[in-house]
Amino acid sequence: MSEKKRMTYYPGCSSQGSARHLDESLRSVLPEVGIEMDDIDDWNCCGASVGHIGGGQLPNLSLTGRNLAKARERGTQDVITGCAACYLNTHGGNEKIKADVKKKAQVNEALDAGGLKYDGDLKVRHVCEVLVNDVGVDKIKEKVKNPLTGLKVAGYVGCQTVRPFAQTQEGGEYDTYDDPNFLDDFTEACGATAVPFQHKTACCGGSVAVMSPDRTLHLIKNILEDAKQAGADVISTPCPLCQTNVEMYQDQINAKFGTDYKIPVVFYSQLMAVALGMDPEKDAALQRNTNSSEKLEQLAKRKG
Amino acid sequence: MTAPLPNPGKKYDLAFARWVYDNVNGGDKLAMCMQCGVCSGSCPIGVNMDHGPRKLFMMIRAGMQEEVMTSNTPANCTSCYRCVVRCPRSVPVTYILQDLLAKQAELGYRAKDNHENIAFAKSFWWSARAFGRTDERLVTAKYYWSFGPAEFWKRSMENLKIAIGFIKKGRMHIGMPHSVKDKKGLKAILDKAREIEQRG
Repeated sequence: MSEKKRMTYYPGCSSQGSARHLDESLRSVLPEVGIEMDDIDDWNCCGASVGHIGGGQLPNLSLTGRNLAKARERGTQDVITGCAACYLNTHGGNEKIKADVKKKAQVNEALDAGGLKYDGDLKVRHVCEVLVNDVGVDKIKEKVKNPLTGLKVAGYVGCQTVRPFAQTQEGGEYDTYDDPNFLDDFTEACGATAVPFQHKTACCGGSVAVMSPDRTLHLIKNILEDAKQAGADVISTPCPLCQTNVEMYQDQINAKFGTDYKIPVVFYSQLMAVALGMDPEKDAALQRNTNSSEKLEQLAKRKG
Repeated sequence: MTAPLPNPGKKYDLAFARWVYDNVNGGDKLAMCMQCGVCSGSCPIGVNMDHGPRKLFMMIRAGMQEEVMTSNTPANCTSCYRCVVRCPRSVPVTYILQDLLAKQAELGYRAKDNHENIAFAKSFWWSARAFGRTDERLVTAKYYWSFGPAEFWKRSMENLKIAIGFIKKGRMHIGMPHSVKDKKGLKAILDKAREIEQRG
């Protein structure tokens, strides 16, 4: 991609809390590889995995309706988000509004109460899909000024980034559900080494891990153990909830299972920011990780 | 509003199967299930489930309404969508389980041993409706508080270290909640949507 593309960016709620480092690094990296971002004006929550239970199916879909009505005010440029749950809800909701005439009418009746409308004429895309299909991994590689030589990375894709849309036409057909390669491709483009990682699409427990960790700590332990066995220096992930869950529960896992994990979990976009030679704090937001990687910090110090 | 259960209290009631087909998101695809078990076999915390999706779907067809409406299978779904992409008959398993959980909540049913998901969902929605945003800190606090002061204290202490770590890293918001500018407009939309849904 030679010329710049403008896209409408949906940051999502975690961008103002637990996953600020995803938002901060995306805002640095995307313009650098040719994607200009305009935020959705006055965006709201997507409903995540539980909105329909607390609020009902149609109110939950109306959250997406409102976001897309606001996004449409910017024109017909594609809507992008880096958050797995935001993508799942917004893309899925958009496809539902397009396909189901009755739902579209109901959403618009609700939106009208707030003076908005949405015709279903936008495309909602995951940032990773845009990086693969529009930017291209080769373009990212070309831009690398500070290759992450010697850094061993376990690429942990998680669930909702690729499921259930990555293999659909509307989802951009950019990778597979069970064995996606894009994250390892990003790692290698940055000059780091992608280690074999069986648990790349294993579940971290998602929102169940937040509400009742006891039900899911063993899932996160399996992910950490696999990364340790593979000799990874860091785990890299695209998903805000995966990053938080796999990082924050390590002490509780160590207490429960008698292990000694202290594995850094970073976003792929943080690695990209470092590899592109950008500022370790302002652009890569490395200071926001609770487990820091000495190796990555050393690499980051060479530039920035 | 979702139509009420046809004959509550009846152990086997085929009208219940039809109720699920008609009222649950994805329920109309349940007839496609051939009981292969790929869903239950793919499930990350299937071991926590009383039945698992394969068996639960057969129980729906058999009309076992009380058993289904108090099953903990929906509440143990982590929304990983593994079953959805693997099902050879394209049954939208996750969507069905997630909406069954919503129907349990709406009609006043609870899994025998799990009240957590519905309590969490209610705390989450409170923040989404009040601010238009998820305030992770307030959702968590409200969720803990829904189990009473003793449990609030216990869970807060268990996770205190995580909270302090996040505050230090600027990943837990301090101060007034982030919110949409047009709170009034957002509430009007959500309330209208609720009204439309209840009208049916």
